[in-house]
Amino acid sequence: MLKMSHLAKVYRTEVVETYALRDLSLNVREGEFVAVTGPSGSGKTTFLNVTGLLETPSSGQYLLDGEDVSQLGDDARSRIRNEKIGFIFQAFNLIPDLNVFDNIDVPLRYRRMAGSERKKRIGEALERVGLSARARHYPAELSGGQQQRVAIARALAGSPRLLLADEPTGNLDTQMARGVMELLEGIHRDGATIVMVTHDPELAVRAQRNVHIIDGQVVDLSEEPRFHGVHPAHAQTAA
Amino acid sequence: MHIRPILSAMRRNKVGAFLIALQMALTLAILCNSLFIIEQRLTLMARASGVDEDNVFVLTNQWVGTPDDLNARIATDLAGIRSLPGVVDAYPSNSYPLRGGGWSDGVMLADHQVHPNTHTTLYFADEHALNTLGVKLLAGRNFSPDEIGSRAENSLGHPPVVIVTKALADKMFPDGSALGKTIYVEDGPTTITGIVEKLQTPWVSNSFGEKFPENSMLEPYHYMVSGYHYVVRAQPGQLDAVMKQVQKKLLEINRARVMVKVMTYAEVRAEAYRNYRGLAIILGVVCTSLLAVTAFGIVGLTSFWVTQRRRQIGVRRALGATRRAILFYFQTENVIIAAAGAAVGVALAVGLNLWMVTSFEMLRIGPAYVLVGAVAVMLLGQLAVLWPALRAASIPPALATRAA
Repeated sequence: MLKMSHLAKVYRTEVVETYALRDLSLNVREGEFVAVTGPSGSGKTTFLNVTGLLETPSSGQYLLDGEDVSQLGDDARSRIRNEKIGFIFQAFNLIPDLNVFDNIDVPLRYRRMAGSERKKRIGEALERVGLSARARHYPAELSGGQQQRVAIARALAGSPRLLLADEPTGNLDTQMARGVMELLEGIHRDGATIVMVTHDPELAVRAQRNVHIIDGQVVDLSEEPRFHGVHPAHAQTAA
Repeated sequence: MHIRPILSAMRRNKVGAFLIALQMALTLAILCNSLFIIEQRLTLMARASGVDEDNVFVLTNQWVGTPDDLNARIATDLAGIRSLPGVVDAYPSNSYPLRGGGWSDGVMLADHQVHPNTHTTLYFADEHALNTLGVKLLAGRNFSPDEIGSRAENSLGHPPVVIVTKALADKMFPDGSALGKTIYVEDGPTTITGIVEKLQTPWVSNSFGEKFPENSMLEPYHYMVSGYHYVVRAQPGQLDAVMKQVQKKLLEINRARVMVKVMTYAEVRAEAYRNYRGLAIILGVVCTSLLAVTAFGIVGLTSFWVTQRRRQIGVRRALGATRRAILFYFQTENVIIAAAGAAVGVALAVGLNLWMVTSFEMLRIGPAYVLVGAVAVMLLGQLAVLWPALRAASIPPALATRAA
């Protein structure tokens, strides 16, 4: 599903080169739930940006779904982000001027999907996160947990191959965070591939596999999968 | 299309959009009417005077004192001028087309008619006038030398014959039978002996002259006053040289005079239409300034919106928006605002025009002006929004993952 080989990301100024990622190699199988942990400044966000095609790596190879996406142009990366990747951000990143329905509609419109199909998908996604009754509400009228659920619905509506979650519970209280995590686990049980960046060890242990990054390098890989439930795809992968 | 979510977002940020739409509406209203006025003035300024303007000049002669031999002095001057090489012809007159001042009178079909049929300019001329001015005689004949009389200052004339412009002839006799007919002017009868193609009045840029812009009448007189005008026609390409020679010659003949003004017809025309040209320039400057202010307003507000929505744009990019899609978003937003502004602006433009029609006897504005104005304002909006929209499109998608 996701194969990174010797990836590096260097930020250059006139006087200094800073390696945010260094010789990073990582495989994520389809249906896996991987937690990426590490201290502040370790390169987690850069890893997320490169994984989500928000930035291009300086060197190395990145195969997503079998396609080399390492050095694609801006338009091609936009298309792949739109069609294959669902983002869940720490700050929810809902558009405050749009209601819940229109927020979920944003990536679908960029896919030029027919109106009826978009409406169907939005309805299903809202139902999945339990917010069908809030479709006409604006983000400011929702709690933090509800906003994150809307963000998850927005990520799910496009049926992405990969879900990227950036500290998905970082802005939530314990109870809301638990609800969001349960939701992510449920989505994983349904077959989604999830890569979650977090600095919270309690969240990390709920993933199948932990990847630890320090100074832009993967230093520890736990290859022991932990499943959240029985799913035919997982069973096949595990076998 | 993303119109519905854009409208939805705009509903929550009404004030800025409303103010820009209003500014565009006012710009459109003022722009349309200003362009209409400018175009009207330019059309009026482009009218032909009927004179061979490239080769004709005028010289305003003022004798010192009040000479009692004016007739002889005029005859000597004219003989001297006409003898110069490069001179086609010359004649003296009380006025000339585009001068800005002259004589006018009512023209009637019957004696003692209460209201004249129309008004006309009275130009005093002799048998050399038509050749000097370069006007085309359409029907009848020119004056003969023995028909030329002397006209004292402040006296009524009773010319036996007159030459009129086609415009005046058609006004008096719409069936085309003017030649040879008797008309009443200056309280007396006179016969139309010739009809010329065109000769404008002296008053081409005021409401008085605009009522009869081409109603002109040549009366066979030499004007016996100490101040009058010589109209001189030069051979093509010799105008400048002839102007100098004529002045020199006149001073050789008699130095007891002041040549108050010596003007080419290009200068006469420029002077005649100075007000119109000034108005057109001022309105042009106002329109340009208004467009610039509106454009700056759009640039300013859109730049503010871009700065305000940087994170939102980054999120959109992360969710799959291409740079082109972001550019298109801001362009579409501007089209919606501009369309609303244009709709209100069209109504304002028509309303402003109607008010001017009622208050200043202006003509009704044509739909083409309103349409052109609306398109211009919308294009201006697209042009103005381009730079901030390009700035928005350059916002990287990675901004979405940065801490708020």
